[in-house]
Amino acid sequence: MKKKLLSLGLVTTMVFSLAACGGNGGSGGGGASSDIPTIDEITVGEDYQELEAEIKVLTNRTDIVDTVYKGYADEFMKLYPNIKVEYEGITDYEETLKLRLTTGDWGDLCFIPTSVSKSELSTYFTKLGDFDTLDPVYQYVQEKTFEGEVYGIANGGTARGVIYNKKIWEEAGITELPTTPEEFLEDLKTIQDKTDAIPLYTNFGAGWTMGAWDDYIDLTATGDPDFRNNMPHTKDPFAKRDDMTGPYAVYYTLYESVARGLIEESPSSTDWESSKRRLNEGEIATMVLGSWAVEQCKEAGSTPDDVGYMPFPITVDGTMFAGSGGNYGFGINNQADEDNQIAAMVYLKWLLEESSIYTDEGSIPALKDQPLPDALEDFTDTEIISNNAAPEGEDDLFDEVNDESEVGINKDDFPDGEILEYALKGEKTLDEIMDEWNQKWSDAQESLGVEVNR
Amino acid sequence: MENVKSRAKEKWLVIVVFMFVPLLLLLVFTYVPFFKMVEFSLYKMKYIGPRTFVGLKNYADVFSRGECFRSLFVSVYYMAGAIIQLGLALFLATMLVFRTKGSGIFKGAMFFPYLICGIAIGFIFKFFYARGFVLDSFLQMLGIKLEDIPLWLEEENINNISLAATSVWRYTGQNMILFLGAMMSVDTDLYEASDLDGANKWHQFRYIILPSIKSIVVLNLILSISGSLSAFEPPYVITNGAWGTGTYFVIMNRLAHENQKVGLACAMAIVLLAIIVACTVAQNLFFKYAFDDGTADESKAAARKRKKAEKEAKKAAKGGR
Repeated sequence: MKKKLLSLGLVTTMVFSLAACGGNGGSGGGGASSDIPTIDEITVGEDYQELEAEIKVLTNRTDIVDTVYKGYADEFMKLYPNIKVEYEGITDYEETLKLRLTTGDWGDLCFIPTSVSKSELSTYFTKLGDFDTLDPVYQYVQEKTFEGEVYGIANGGTARGVIYNKKIWEEAGITELPTTPEEFLEDLKTIQDKTDAIPLYTNFGAGWTMGAWDDYIDLTATGDPDFRNNMPHTKDPFAKRDDMTGPYAVYYTLYESVARGLIEESPSSTDWESSKRRLNEGEIATMVLGSWAVEQCKEAGSTPDDVGYMPFPITVDGTMFAGSGGNYGFGINNQADEDNQIAAMVYLKWLLEESSIYTDEGSIPALKDQPLPDALEDFTDTEIISNNAAPEGEDDLFDEVNDESEVGINKDDFPDGEILEYALKGEKTLDEIMDEWNQKWSDAQESLGVEVNR
Repeated sequence: MENVKSRAKEKWLVIVVFMFVPLLLLLVFTYVPFFKMVEFSLYKMKYIGPRTFVGLKNYADVFSRGECFRSLFVSVYYMAGAIIQLGLALFLATMLVFRTKGSGIFKGAMFFPYLICGIAIGFIFKFFYARGFVLDSFLQMLGIKLEDIPLWLEEENINNISLAATSVWRYTGQNMILFLGAMMSVDTDLYEASDLDGANKWHQFRYIILPSIKSIVVLNLILSISGSLSAFEPPYVITNGAWGTGTYFVIMNRLAHENQKVGLACAMAIVLLAIIVACTVAQNLFFKYAFDDGTADESKAAARKRKKAEKEAKKAAKGGR
């Protein structure tokens, strides 16, 4: 009997504590809309000096969380002694965050996991402001905007170009960077003739490095921020264009450099880790990868100053473009105490606008009016653009057609690898491959019933 | 009488209680997922999002897509590899069963590859075959020029052999240990007796060892052949299915994960299951008729006679009741 009473008591306590949990969460959520300012209303260094709070910031960068990131926190705490900032590094970030977000008790500021779809943003994160106010100030806000309200700001971004070894390119006597695929191929040929370096290293063995070529087909190759959104409605997007732009031109660059023997001898034997050092030290002249790889290549060898980054050699009506996209976006926990939310927002604004984070990481700053990082010095005449938000109701359309067609843009590396294989063996011409892709694309459009109007 | 009844009841209770957990595990982790897969194969679906019922269209697609069945030819390399691997394992096991010096070390060394996980083996061989790495430098030490050495992973007349060799390397030791275990159970007096009769080692192998371990050889052969139909790790890790090395599984994996065609991949899995079942049955029949069922000590004719007699006895017993 005694035991029964005891267990009954336990159960009651547990039920009550559960209810209490629920209640807490509810009131926190309700508070989100009340007195929290938007990020544009805050003046860093002046407002909220009196605010006392301890905030926790989550990050995936376990490698630098206790060094570089802690340094930012210390610097900020000098400015705001009453706010205590603490970092927590998380390995397996995406999976862990997916679970922790739903509890509401994860901390105050985090990188928004990519699995959170736009419609879910308001469930977890505090509104940072209106799209129309923030868009002129910050880069990439469209990536974390839902129904005109911004819930996350990207931690800078990366641009898409070509990594090259400046010394080798100079040694080959090339003074002007190429602006068309044909010029690029001629330059590679010159490098092959005049130097010992591998003109273009494909990193075929790693797989994802072949998929990286897909990054250039939309913005870089067309200069059209809506190209990707329109692709599901486009008839034969991979067809050859007379001015050598568009997806065909990108794959032409790949196909021809292989067919003309300008790549490494045995593509399946490539090794990504050592390729960074080899580019740095001049054994490799060129690699086609996003700007995020520049810092890594610089760190990998003894001559970091030789590592350069140039725009992808396609010119659309006299202008060169570089596609760019945001890194992880910062989001603030809307279940946290009001003071914590405000403190997190102050820290976020400081991080975005005052800290040295973008110089340190070599990425494009979050603020639109700040200069590009040194890594992108060759991009002064290049227009850096990013994709427009997909039209309403078509958020998933590109993925649907892409999956159905099995062309696998930015998803499946295998088709890109096949271009290299066919070029090496001379089994199929690029036109044949592109015709097949167009056919697959059309079949997918047909089977999904997508309107083709372009 | 009452006592007997409750004993019987108790027996059943014990049986049910002990069977419950393993059966539940089997059901939850094998049969339910399997029937779910059969169900998925009838839908056009992604991992998340809505599903549409398409009936047998996925199966029709499997058969109309050339690449699915072409990839099965790649498995022929792995089957040939499996046969070489069994021969090698038999040979090594026989060597070890006649008291060899340092047999413990050999056993350990040869079994070791089986303990490494498949993905790691893939990476080992990726570097082993890479241009200018282990294999190439070894051959160069033997005086072969680098230009004369083929590209092990790219040239299509050789790359599947290279890949199949990795799975031979991995599984030979394990097969050997299984054979050795079976061979240990052979009565050593037989060797002595046959020695006295003037039999050499080959005779001992052919007429004493092989007949005694026939069932385990047949079992290993069946497992290896169905295993080679579902070869996955070497091509996936080493070449990612490029250069015509994509096996059925590699293609299935790409459809399911990269292109999110889960229904189609499930249909492929079921078609492969049917092929494997067919292969196993065919092999079983083959061994039954070519030799015998592999377990019998008696000759085939004698076995048939005995079975017939048994059957008749059973019939008689039934009739008598």
